[in-house]
Amino acid sequence: MEAVLEQVEQLPALLVGARSALVRDWDSLTLDRALEWARYFQHVHDRFRTRPRLREVLGRRLRRAQPSLPLGFPHLGRCPQLLGLALLENRALPPAACRCLLRSLLQFPGEEAGPEPHSLALLARRKAASRLLALPSGLPRSPADMEPQLQAEAQLLLGRLREEGPEGEPAGESVGPPRWLSAVLEQLPLPRAFEVVAVALLGQGNGADQAGDGDGAGSSLEGNWASAIGDKCVAGPLLSWLLGNQERFYAFCLFLPGSLLASLAGHYSQLSRPYLDLLTGCGSHLLYDPLQGRWVINCPNKAVLSWEQLRERFTCLCQVSAVLKGQTQAALKLLKAQDGDFQVRGLSVWTDLLMELGTFL
Amino acid sequence: MAEDTPVPKLNFEYWLDKAIEWGQATTLESQKDVCLHLPQLQKFLHEIYETLKHMDSIGAIQQFPLIGQLLGRLCWNPFVIGYDESQKTLMWCLCCLYSSEPQNPVELKANSWIQSLLCHLLSSSKWESNEAETSTFISTLGYTSADYYCHLVKNMVFSLVTEFRGNQFNGLNIQGRVSASRVNTVSLFCLPLITLPDLAPLLETLLHYHGGASKEILSTEFLEAVNEAFLKKKISLPETAVFSLWLRHLPSLEKATVYLLDQLVSIQLNSLEEVACVIKDSLLPQAANHPAIFRIVSEIFKNALMETDGAPEVMTILQVFTQLFLQAHQNENKPHKFSLKAYFPYHHQPLVTALLRRPFELPATHWSAHLKHISDMLKALVEDTNVSSAADLFEIWFLVVCFGEWLDIAAEQLLKAAVEPDALLWLLAFYYCPQNENQQRTQTVVEAKAVYNHLMLLFNRIVLSVKDLEAAVHSITDTERCCNQHLITHLLTNFLLFSSGGHTIAQEFIYHITETTDSSKEVCSLLIRTAYRINHNGEKNTRTVKLLNELLKKLTLKV
Repeated sequence: MEAVLEQVEQLPALLVGARSALVRDWDSLTLDRALEWARYFQHVHDRFRTRPRLREVLGRRLRRAQPSLPLGFPHLGRCPQLLGLALLENRALPPAACRCLLRSLLQFPGEEAGPEPHSLALLARRKAASRLLALPSGLPRSPADMEPQLQAEAQLLLGRLREEGPEGEPAGESVGPPRWLSAVLEQLPLPRAFEVVAVALLGQGNGADQAGDGDGAGSSLEGNWASAIGDKCVAGPLLSWLLGNQERFYAFCLFLPGSLLASLAGHYSQLSRPYLDLLTGCGSHLLYDPLQGRWVINCPNKAVLSWEQLRERFTCLCQVSAVLKGQTQAALKLLKAQDGDFQVRGLSVWTDLLMELGTFL
Repeated sequence: MAEDTPVPKLNFEYWLDKAIEWGQATTLESQKDVCLHLPQLQKFLHEIYETLKHMDSIGAIQQFPLIGQLLGRLCWNPFVIGYDESQKTLMWCLCCLYSSEPQNPVELKANSWIQSLLCHLLSSSKWESNEAETSTFISTLGYTSADYYCHLVKNMVFSLVTEFRGNQFNGLNIQGRVSASRVNTVSLFCLPLITLPDLAPLLETLLHYHGGASKEILSTEFLEAVNEAFLKKKISLPETAVFSLWLRHLPSLEKATVYLLDQLVSIQLNSLEEVACVIKDSLLPQAANHPAIFRIVSEIFKNALMETDGAPEVMTILQVFTQLFLQAHQNENKPHKFSLKAYFPYHHQPLVTALLRRPFELPATHWSAHLKHISDMLKALVEDTNVSSAADLFEIWFLVVCFGEWLDIAAEQLLKAAVEPDALLWLLAFYYCPQNENQQRTQTVVEAKAVYNHLMLLFNRIVLSVKDLEAAVHSITDTERCCNQHLITHLLTNFLLFSSGGHTIAQEFIYHITETTDSSKEVCSLLIRTAYRINHNGEKNTRTVKLLNELLKKLTLKV
């Protein structure tokens, strides 16, 4: 077993190498050997897949080998593809080795088919399909057009979280999100990382009310991916990534639409209190401008929510569930009482918000 | 699709012109034109590959200077890359052009260009831009573009399905969010992808989608291509989706029926069970529950019968089809299903009712009476001077052929049961000789009766010779006449199967009649129909079953 572990430790180096300029010195023999190793790792994966104890040991060894590259046990299984595509994109690979790579990746007619026949042809076909299916939208790109892409990214993120399972991070480090998660999410520009996390947490992204219960027509299709709802070892790391950094959480709440945030708060009680605190924090930055007759932002240099945005977010919160409605109402009433409990507009932002929300309360 | 239009072999210029004209296929005209040429282009690509694989890259570029331009352009056309196996062949071609030992800057450049094209086809960078974030995100997660596009395509399919279904179920909101032209475009864009399994839910939704317009909303090319893929078993679809396709696009239904007939006639079938299996597999008997579909399928069968001059295989196929249709009709659990008579609206209804009775619904002892009833009704109809036109007569005959099982039973009853033969012989005479010009049918009945009487004298004889049977046949003078030859063959075959001594000379005699009259196919059809009926009725006539199997084994080897 120790021998296997030592071999597995080489995987991160192999993948890092394949993406680096080191491949400049590879000839076709080196390439064959690398592909051979990839197939061997896949074999190791298949052998230990159903044995949780050994999986865990292998996973730990992988993480220890190269903490900067967040790898886990499942990567062993995908190794031939990971390596093949990484090399294909690496311009440093010399022609002889590259030709050898192409011949092994593209199963030619008459040649022995690999374990996944025509998988690269299928990949090219699917990529073209994604292009074709996106074309007929007719309308200029709307956020809804991005949805399938966001979902795909969220699905991969969830996939990784599930693969990691509870043993994803060694005990003792459980405070805060796993390191690999932060590393991964840093790869995306900010609003997009937030959107991906939100979609992963909710499943269906766009509508606030769709989460959880798909309509009858779609449920059979929807079965192919489940959100993080009800899955602690998946939602936990995502929530701790969000809440672990005050600034990040603040930005998250500024960027995303109120309906989505309300829906998240409805599903995750860990989120509802911080979110409410954030909203009331924003409210206290508003000042009534008697000349304009409306609430304006008091500190122009700071990114805070405007009166309209705040009103929209509170409205959404009240629509999500009775529990949230109660909490929101209680918080606002308390603040209103602290401000003197006036019933006249323009004196306390809380009074005005409660009046605006009147129809929902 | 234009598979037949001839295009000169390895015509690079033609295809390069096309590729330039198409660009990235952004206008509707170019999209339609691409779709029209996809099968041809795939063939062409394959030919290129077959040529390239024997060459080195320099030789290839020297011989086909346009190849780089052409392949490069095609790689950017999502219709081409999405279609069937074109992407695979295209990548093989690129690989053949890659040189492992580049000697000059041109070759180096070509290599780098090929690598970029392959990355474009396979990496997770966007089709139209080089947005790298998704790519790094995916690889940092430890996944590949293969994982990403697998999810992405499924999501896109799901989102379109939701959009279309939502629109369809909106009821009054027919104008809805989805315009007819959008649905039409989506259907066209799906055309190259029909055989991609991820698309299945979308195909199903589109086939059921009608929108508010009375005009067909889906592209014709799409409907044709789906039908083609279904017939060639490249995709599987739920029954209801197939029915919906045939109801909205009649050319597809016609094609499916003709395809079934071709299939049944061209392959060697050893049993009616096999025939039944192929027919059932076509979904046509089930689809025929829609009277409109039933009518069109019947028309095509009618034409086939006329064109083949009543070939025994076609008559057998029609008989099995009708049985399977009745079965499917019985199994259908819809609250408002059509009564069986509705499928035969222009026929004499008492005759339809009688023919619709399945043999197993009656005790065997009632069969001859039922057959006599059918024969009497038919005779009255046919001899009625009002129904004298050839077309009317053909319609009545066609109806009888559909229910040919009763005719087989009639021929069997004549020999097996104590019956008054005249009515049953007339019925068989009508079946084999519907026209009565020059008293042809009347003469047939007379001759058949003579043979029948002779056969009955021999029925219980244990010791028989071929000569005895020949004598029975020769008791009538003119054996050449075609229609009565069929009837006589039918009677003789049943005699061999069911008489006391027939089995002893069966092999020899059948060999004799198939040699002299070229009727192996006909006898074969008769035997497999009998075998099928005996199997299904669970009859315990072991001697007959054994004999049937032996005879069929010999005959199917010969046919």
